[in-house]
Amino acid sequence: MSTIKENLFYTEDHEWISIEGNIATLGITDFAQSSLGDIVFVELPEADTTYDNGDSFGVVESIKSVSDLYTPLSGKVLEKNLEIEESPEKINENAFAAWLIKLELSDEDQVKELMDAKAYKEFCKANS
Amino acid sequence: MKTSLYEKHVALGAKMVDFAGFEMPIQYKNLKEEVLAVRNGVGVFDVSHMGEFFVTGPDAAKYVNYMITNNIEKLSSGKAIYSPLCNHDGKIIDDLIAYKFSDEEILICVNASNIEKDFNWFKENTGDFNVELKNESDKYSLLAIQGPKTFETIKEIELLSGLKDADYYSIQKLDNGIILARTGYTGEDGFEVFAPHNIIDKLWDELIERGVTPCGLGSRDVLRLEVCFPLYGNELNEDLTPLDCGLAWTTKLDKDNFIGKAALTDYKAQKKLIKLTLDKGIPRAGYKLIANEQPVGEITSGSMSVVLSKGIALALVNKEFEDYDKLKIDIRNKLYDTTRVTKPFVSGGHK
Repeated sequence: MSTIKENLFYTEDHEWISIEGNIATLGITDFAQSSLGDIVFVELPEADTTYDNGDSFGVVESIKSVSDLYTPLSGKVLEKNLEIEESPEKINENAFAAWLIKLELSDEDQVKELMDAKAYKEFCKANS
Repeated sequence: MKTSLYEKHVALGAKMVDFAGFEMPIQYKNLKEEVLAVRNGVGVFDVSHMGEFFVTGPDAAKYVNYMITNNIEKLSSGKAIYSPLCNHDGKIIDDLIAYKFSDEEILICVNASNIEKDFNWFKENTGDFNVELKNESDKYSLLAIQGPKTFETIKEIELLSGLKDADYYSIQKLDNGIILARTGYTGEDGFEVFAPHNIIDKLWDELIERGVTPCGLGSRDVLRLEVCFPLYGNELNEDLTPLDCGLAWTTKLDKDNFIGKAALTDYKAQKKLIKLTLDKGIPRAGYKLIANEQPVGEITSGSMSVVLSKGIALALVNKEFEDYDKLKIDIRNKLYDTTRVTKPFVSGGHK
């Protein structure tokens, strides 16, 4: 059974989001890393790129597959995690420590659409 | 459809996917570990989805030789041969391995996705040949046991008693009816074992008990790509002749009449199958190759190599660019440099 952390928000695409003020930090969940297997390549956007919710902002690749990363929140990229682009295997080691991007939100109301830990746990159960 | 080993795969924690109508294990615990088990130790694949046709009768070798592009009449009994199967236009219907027990008995193993198409093609073309053709795909299971430690691992197994340490591409039939061929799709030493389902079920358990690593279709694909073996549907298809995709060595234009000979004799290759590595980025099937800002080809298979830890790809490039060495790959609208290589990415250790 994969780990789910309390106090984070989640999406149906198996991403986790932490919110501080109007800044969101995004990563992929333990469930996602474990389904992908060994992660060998990550492509993340440059700072200042803007996205609408639902846009793809990058990819994560395992040996055999390519998966798009989607942002559930609109906003502007403040920073990407260079360390993860250099060493993508860190996502497998600890998915919740391996943040991918920080977003400055343009519509904080969108946070209300996200799942909390309890809802995500049920979503995973229903979809496994 | 399910192979007879389905329940065992699920019990071992395999992730199952649909492949050519069969529910097959794509991966057990870890793909990388499966690849390395085959490169350094021994792994086992359930490939029971593949098709088995038996051709028997006085004209068996003559008939198969008419059907395929490679030369099985020249082959010694007790040996196997790889060959494309072409239509009259010289285009590739499938690729197969033919196992020659004698001039009167040949086993043909074809891709799961093409069983029906191939069998119909064989049936339509028996003509005046004195042969009997049987599709035994449902009666046989097939295991591929692969890796440098294969022989030392399986020689102790009672079910396989009588097994000889034979040459690469040789075949043996044991007293209990099990057929073993020293063939595979990984570049490593190993055996492929054809037998009825109940025997394969027992053999699978014996192998797992002996610590052989169960391997899925995911690692099988990486292994074959690392040693540059083509895959039907990727490198080979009905729009291509063997001369377009690196299979000229299997096309014996000097032998007597065979299907596709006339078309292939005058054919000028349109494409070339090339090997590329990338220092950054991972190539995938379908990505375009770019030269002088123009698309000039396409990746047919691409992956991260487990052994090399970098991107590797097979690609079909337009013939005019066969020697061009500054090809770029378009990955999500960014161009990445490639390096052309001539030898397989990984040299397998088969005998």
